[in-house]
Amino acid sequence: MTTADRFGNYSIDADIFDEMFHADGATRDDWKGLQQTLTDLSTEELNAIQERVTRSFSNEGITFTVYGDDEADERIIPIDCVPRLLVEAEWRELESGLTQRLKALNLFLQDVYGESRVTKDGVIPQDMVRGCPQYRLEMRGFTPPQGTWVAICGTDVVRTNDGFRVLEDNLRVPSGVSYMIANRKAVKASLRRLYRASRVLEVENYGRLLLDTLRELAPGGQTNPTIALLTPGVYNSAFYEHMFLAGELGAELVEGRDLVVDDGFVCMRTTTGLRRVDVIYRRVDDDFIDPTVFRPDSVLGVPGLMDAYLRGNVALANAPGTGVADDKSVYAYVPDLIRYYLGEEPLLQNVETYLCRRPQELEYTLDNLDRLVVKKVGESGGYGMLVGPHATPAERAEYAEQVRANPADFIAQPTLALSRSPCLIDGNFEPRHVDLRPFILHGKTTRIVPGAFCRVALKRGSLVVNSSQGGGGKDVWVLEE
Amino acid sequence: MGRYLERADHLTRMLRLQAEALVDRPTGEIYSGWRRIYRSLDREPPGGGLELEPSQQGAAPQFQQTQTPSGQAQRRISDEYTLADSFTLADDLTFERANPNSLWSCFAWGRENARQMRHCISAEMWRSLNLTYLKLQRIRMLDIWLASPEGFYTETAEDIETFMGVAGATMYRDEGWHFMQLGRFIERAQLASGLLLAQLEEDKQSREHSESDWTTLLRVFHAQEAYMRTCGVEIRPEQVLDLLVTDPMLPNSMRRALATVSGELGAVGTGPDGASTEAANRMAGRLRSLVQYEWPDSDDKPKLLILIADLSWQLHGLVNAVYFDY
Repeated sequence: MTTADRFGNYSIDADIFDEMFHADGATRDDWKGLQQTLTDLSTEELNAIQERVTRSFSNEGITFTVYGDDEADERIIPIDCVPRLLVEAEWRELESGLTQRLKALNLFLQDVYGESRVTKDGVIPQDMVRGCPQYRLEMRGFTPPQGTWVAICGTDVVRTNDGFRVLEDNLRVPSGVSYMIANRKAVKASLRRLYRASRVLEVENYGRLLLDTLRELAPGGQTNPTIALLTPGVYNSAFYEHMFLAGELGAELVEGRDLVVDDGFVCMRTTTGLRRVDVIYRRVDDDFIDPTVFRPDSVLGVPGLMDAYLRGNVALANAPGTGVADDKSVYAYVPDLIRYYLGEEPLLQNVETYLCRRPQELEYTLDNLDRLVVKKVGESGGYGMLVGPHATPAERAEYAEQVRANPADFIAQPTLALSRSPCLIDGNFEPRHVDLRPFILHGKTTRIVPGAFCRVALKRGSLVVNSSQGGGGKDVWVLEE
Repeated sequence: MGRYLERADHLTRMLRLQAEALVDRPTGEIYSGWRRIYRSLDREPPGGGLELEPSQQGAAPQFQQTQTPSGQAQRRISDEYTLADSFTLADDLTFERANPNSLWSCFAWGRENARQMRHCISAEMWRSLNLTYLKLQRIRMLDIWLASPEGFYTETAEDIETFMGVAGATMYRDEGWHFMQLGRFIERAQLASGLLLAQLEEDKQSREHSESDWTTLLRVFHAQEAYMRTCGVEIRPEQVLDLLVTDPMLPNSMRRALATVSGELGAVGTGPDGASTEAANRMAGRLRSLVQYEWPDSDDKPKLLILIADLSWQLHGLVNAVYFDY
């Protein structure tokens, strides 16, 4: 079978940006090498490559576990062997925008837990900030090391015909970075010659950059602090990632029960006694990190941790309370925040967002429910959401009632035409919708590895990239120019 | 992890020899083998006891006997029952998930332990263990029963040996290594005392010793060649016991296992509570002295074996209390 045959079912829609092809069907220049490789491979060879990529995940045990009532189901995220390509210029554009955005968001957090100039100046409503469930009163008046509230960020970016758009900032405990690295390892081992010839920028040094970032947060400017990664435990679906990152950092992987606060300092239990911990990369949500301050029923946290933190005896990445900056309502204000704090125009645009708390935008939302995606503020992971075009009239009517009852709890966005990228489906190449989650590190400086976890909606026509609903992953190659 | 894999290794060796016995050993000996395995693991076989009618005790496989047609038919049924029973028992010990000592459970728990401390072991160890685990996920008892059960157990034993070799070649010799070894050799001492006790009990019940049972025992411990070199070809239970318990040069002897336990405990170093660490060291020393100095003059070997098993169990608890649950 020739490549032309294999692309026989590949449809190009001028309304949807295709990563590989121009709207007229011509291959983008930077994809021609990949296309040639795919031409040279037989169907059997392609299937063998896909099989090898998939098998590498099960052999390496890169899995996530779904716990049912009776038994645990260990799964792998399906990874498509065809990489998504970006050229360095596109990447630099993204990198600048992401750096600018995180800088502004850190300044915003410092401000809302400090003087609150931003609300006093009327840039963002005070009730939106203070009323946000993620706003932590305990953090008021506190300044974290380097002023870094968000040290590790995973931003969801999509591409449309109008360019890149930020869909969501994940500023609490973003996950997925281990998949970025695992995808790279599996795909480059299977497309060896092409990888070498393509001059792909490296992502495998992420662990080193993360270590440098965490070290910069150490109390008292220590240069070689003891770092621990706090995990909710082995039953957490992201446990593989926690373990992987602890290994990359050369840090101890600890659960809450492994840590104690002794005389205002956080220590971990070791076989030779207690040992002081200076920096904690915590993968436990705010609510659970300290039962004496947040949820008292939490068994995942460490009693007294917040006291040690607020005394400056230990650093936490990310700081508690960062969730106020990735709230879905606050999101709509991020471009204004960039202008306010940095005096610059945003380099990366938001997706157009309607705040239902504003009467006119509420009216517009209710009148156009069949065309919009409506999201509940404070929810995440696709919960509490209405995808208007896919909902029944009854579902829309029921949802409209909820919106009318509490408009401030909802935002609306147009249904996005996420860009598409070729995937190997049953021996042929077909376009599938994709998004992109690059990972941004922020300490004394901002560091971003040139790559991302690319999620892909593997079901034909689906826009849902979530792995629990038929989504998979792709490697992202940023090609050196 | 070390404990689970040692248990898997021990079980695999016993099951391989039991699978071999199914080919040509008399029915009575086959059942005796199953009883010994179950007794050593302190587990009730599925469906209850494995006692045979007195007339069946010495029954040989039907194909080795010349009988009348009606007699042949009777024994064929008996053999089929033996094989059917053996299938059920082997399945219980190999794939039964509700059996915490089955091969499947040992690998599942060993791998789960490894998963939880993956950053403390080498990537090669994880991969080696994970591949064997995935292999076990893909097969059923019937598959291996129809092909070659002894082949399957031999392969699995080789997988475990590979894992141990990979661990030895790649794991950093930090405390993680020493704790893994500690667990493994405490388990070895416990399993060995359990199996030797089960064999002595089997001898007591049949009021005579079976040479082939004791030979099998030597093979479980990879000790048959060493026995022949040091004691000759005559199988004497006392000499077999002495070799398996006290020989300083036999890799799988209890003496060597307990010497390793002491050594690893020393390598781990003092825990947060010095007094408790000392208590653990004393207990390990006492175990060594039981084997090395009390065993040769003891008139009551079973009692000594029970004491060794009991102290090994206590030592395991003490190590946990000293280093982890403080």
